[in-house]
Amino acid sequence: MPIFTLMGEYKSAGLDGVFNALGDPTRRAILARLQESDARVTDIAGAFPISLNSVSKHIRMLERAGLLQRSVHGRDHVLSLNAAPLAEASAWIEHYRTFWEDRLAALETYILDKKRKRK
Amino acid sequence: MNAAAKATATTALVVRRTIAASAEEIFDAWLDPAALAIWMRPTGIRRTSAKTDARVGGGYEIIMQGDEKTYPHHGVYRVIDRPRRLVFTWISNGTEGGETLVTVDFLPAGQGTEVVVTHAQLPAGAHESHDKGWTSGLARLAEFSAGNA
Repeated sequence: MPIFTLMGEYKSAGLDGVFNALGDPTRRAILARLQESDARVTDIAGAFPISLNSVSKHIRMLERAGLLQRSVHGRDHVLSLNAAPLAEASAWIEHYRTFWEDRLAALETYILDKKRKRK
Repeated sequence: MNAAAKATATTALVVRRTIAASAEEIFDAWLDPAALAIWMRPTGIRRTSAKTDARVGGGYEIIMQGDEKTYPHHGVYRVIDRPRRLVFTWISNGTEGGETLVTVDFLPAGQGTEVVVTHAQLPAGAHESHDKGWTSGLARLAEFSAGNA
């Protein structure tokens, strides 16, 4: 299958959420923390100089983007990182990198052909 | 690698190519529908047709016709600074209305011109002021992807 036909299949609705979620330093710090190990919501909240309420908001946004999972053990809510949407986002990037590399090669061919014809 | 170079490298979607032609000549090929029809035709595409309204706020349409499917692309020109910089939004069939932003810089490089394409996916309805956070988001993404590969 030509690589280009894949492009139409990309669904960006989910990726929008991922990219939005990554656009904030606190949320990136939460992900970085979870990359080391799973953590309780209260542990995460204690690590940031902002209210539990705002930490909770950031966590909910990350959950909606599918970047973290929450499991409930008694009174503890344990968070873990889900890297799958990040892989999807990096696939988008790789896809368009190839697309533009090929287009710029075609642009060069077009320009050089045009110059040759003028001579 | 200095900090600026590193930031560029990790924003991931930056593609460069040096072409032995003037910046004007290359710049115009981005706005000329007849030129776009030729070089905006990827492998597997039979025919590309293009329409452009080459002014800031004007739109463009690039329709790529494959064997079985058609891939329309469209967007709006944000910056037209000939022959230095071109910025336009890029929306394609599969993005479900999601707007992406393409910035093309034309830099002098010896006898030729270095063309630098930066393509960023923007959250729907994002404003210019979000660009900074967005770029650092991409930089972080590259780190996370590497860490979880």
